[in-house]
Amino acid sequence: MADEITDNILNICNVNKSFPGVRALNNVSIRIRRGDIHGIVGENGAGKSTLMKILSGVYEKDSGTIEFDGETVENTTPVKSLRSGLSIIYQEFNLVNTMSVGENIFLGRFRKMKGMRGTHGEARKLLDSINCSVDTHAPVESLSVSEKQMVEIAKALSFQAKLIIMDEPSSSLTTEEIRHLSVIIKDLHEKGITIIYISHKLDEIFEYCDRVTIMRDGCVVDTKPIKELGRDEMIAKMVGRTIENEYPERPHCVGESLLEISNLNSRKLKNISFTLKRGEILGMVGLVGSGRTEIVRAIFGADKVKGLILQIDGKTVSIKKPADAKKAGIALVPEDRKQQGLILPFSVKSNISMAALKGLAKRIFLNRGSEVCMAKRQMESLAIKTPGINARVENLSGGNQQKCVLGRWLETDSRILILDEPTRGIDVGAKYEIYLLMKKIVENGGSIIMISSELQEVLSMSNRILTISDGRITGEFDPEDTSAEEIMKSALA
Amino acid sequence: MKKELNLKNAFFSFIKNYFVGFCIILLVVITMIYQPRFLSASNLLNIIRQLGPLSIVSLGMSFVIFAGYLDLSVAGTISLVAVVTVSLIEPLGQMGAILAGIVIGTAAGALIGAVVLVVGANRKSEALFISYGMGMAYSALALMYSGGVTQKLGENQKIFEVIGKGGWGILSVSLVIFIVCLIILQILQSMTYIGRSVMLAGGNPVASRLSGIPVNAVVVLVYTLSGLLASIGSVVLVSRVTTASPVIGKTYETNAITAVLIGGTSLKGGNGSVMRTVLGVVLISLMSNCMNLLGISSYMQSVVRGLVLILAIWLDSKRNS
Repeated sequence: MADEITDNILNICNVNKSFPGVRALNNVSIRIRRGDIHGIVGENGAGKSTLMKILSGVYEKDSGTIEFDGETVENTTPVKSLRSGLSIIYQEFNLVNTMSVGENIFLGRFRKMKGMRGTHGEARKLLDSINCSVDTHAPVESLSVSEKQMVEIAKALSFQAKLIIMDEPSSSLTTEEIRHLSVIIKDLHEKGITIIYISHKLDEIFEYCDRVTIMRDGCVVDTKPIKELGRDEMIAKMVGRTIENEYPERPHCVGESLLEISNLNSRKLKNISFTLKRGEILGMVGLVGSGRTEIVRAIFGADKVKGLILQIDGKTVSIKKPADAKKAGIALVPEDRKQQGLILPFSVKSNISMAALKGLAKRIFLNRGSEVCMAKRQMESLAIKTPGINARVENLSGGNQQKCVLGRWLETDSRILILDEPTRGIDVGAKYEIYLLMKKIVENGGSIIMISSELQEVLSMSNRILTISDGRITGEFDPEDTSAEEIMKSALA
Repeated sequence: MKKELNLKNAFFSFIKNYFVGFCIILLVVITMIYQPRFLSASNLLNIIRQLGPLSIVSLGMSFVIFAGYLDLSVAGTISLVAVVTVSLIEPLGQMGAILAGIVIGTAAGALIGAVVLVVGANRKSEALFISYGMGMAYSALALMYSGGVTQKLGENQKIFEVIGKGGWGILSVSLVIFIVCLIILQILQSMTYIGRSVMLAGGNPVASRLSGIPVNAVVVLVYTLSGLLASIGSVVLVSRVTTASPVIGKTYETNAITAVLIGGTSLKGGNGSVMRTVLGVVLISLMSNCMNLLGISSYMQSVVRGLVLILAIWLDSKRNS
């Protein structure tokens, strides 16, 4: 009864979508009320992106009806969708890096704006309306992630968007930037713009959203007002089972000092020195751009640095390239798994074996049988969900892709595993599996350096935490004896 | 709509994978209909003869493309090796001259690889022009060294005679040389650590480097291989035409690249195979032969070749979308 009276800006009814071999959306029905901030949560592979791409015109649904603002949506294209008032801000953004902010906002509409003067003038007004001081003439590539996001929002506003879809808006933002974003979201809300907010960060869902839809395996599990939903219930519905805790018990295997870093200097880093103990999970916290990734890349030999003295078990080791690091027993799982971690069009098998190839080669010939065994071994031990070891790794979900990269390094004799944002963009269920894996690794004598932006994660899993700010180590903390606020303060120092 | 998508993808995939074979069959059938002479023994022998130098050079080019690069220098290398080899027959004897030529050509390739490394291995467009520029330098060297004169292979150059004309019926010596190179390179690509490293580096050089794959070594290796095979091809070519013109290598780089791409290997690197290149060469040779028999002018033939190349690249892009 109540639904009929409510004004729904978007009516998705029984939408289905399949791709070769997989049913991405199964009878999905969601009603989005006008003016709401409507959250959508679900594990990777739940169908959220597919649904959004159908809404914005990138994909075509197989069947079902979609009604936006009273009009039926059929055979739509991204341009038609934009013009009808539906904007989408992708996680990776849709901007032309080499062009200016103003040009990006009005891309393709310069004539309507009466040339560059009109373009930049309007762009300035739009940016001011969301309290963004970025110069409209600045090239987009010079902007920070947060600033690029502002440009995307201004672009949506320029289309008089009635509905804005935000896909994982805060995954690359610092705490400060997230605060700014929340102000803008509340502002857009007050202006009456409907927002669809997709995020893995359940805290944000609870903070912003009026209603939330939970998806799993291509189906809608439930749509409820946020007030009627508890965190545990949400997670249970996302995952299909109850999760007792989000994190396993903290491992306590810390032994003697294993790795000693001193005198690490580079353009960004200033005299970094620290140690890593055996069996330890060392958490590294810092804002984007603080130098945390630069530190681990330097240790791994991926970047050239000055002066670095690296000692393992008391012996000085010279690392000039990643191959040297590998030989010394150091492994790196990079932050950007798609561009730096995996070879997307290659098979799961090839991606897993690529760091351990030398071991597979008798003289110069590769042993195919051993390679298959290696891949199957990791597939089982890490529970990688894939149609088979020969499946293309680009078809796997984020969590399973991450497991492939991890599996690759588990096949080498690495004692020191560096994980840069290991659970970014990964659903709750897969995160837990990765935490368990980390625990197993240190219980078996390995050591882990973990860079993470999720304070809860760092506090729950690490044995010791270092904060990095502006190329310097600003603090060292015992996670059982500190708080998120203290760590944040130190990382902002 | 669901069925359409599946069918379209499968269709393009199939066509892409078997494009070359499909074209070959089509071409043979058409020619057989219009020119029964196609099937004569002498013609077929001729086709196989034609396969010689280009196929050898294309094998080397394949590896460069597997790694995600392009080698525009082979024309220069071929010319340089040709004039140097022939000029050294007197002082070094035939075998000596051949070996010297091959060493020089291989070194020429290695040098390109080294320069690409110095400039920055991740800059693939720059690498393209580096190979182009150095190829021009090698061509110029060939002209300077020979004084612009086309040297003739003298009488009684037994080894060259054997390479150029020898053999047992259909199995010409140049064909055997090609097959030997083919087998070695196919094994290298599909069964060795080196071959796998090339494919991985071509697929994603950043991820490969971060996994400990020696991507820099791969770059130097593929250009060196290209130089080596271009040299071998040059020796075979000189043996066949019994002269060494300082511009003998002209058009080899574009034809070699065309052969590799028509075979179905993608320009972006990390995929393809030596066998695909062989099919590509067969198709190009067949196209030349058949179109000659059908009386198609050489200008028209170039147009057709270009169209087939574009078709191959388009199919590749479709498969990846």
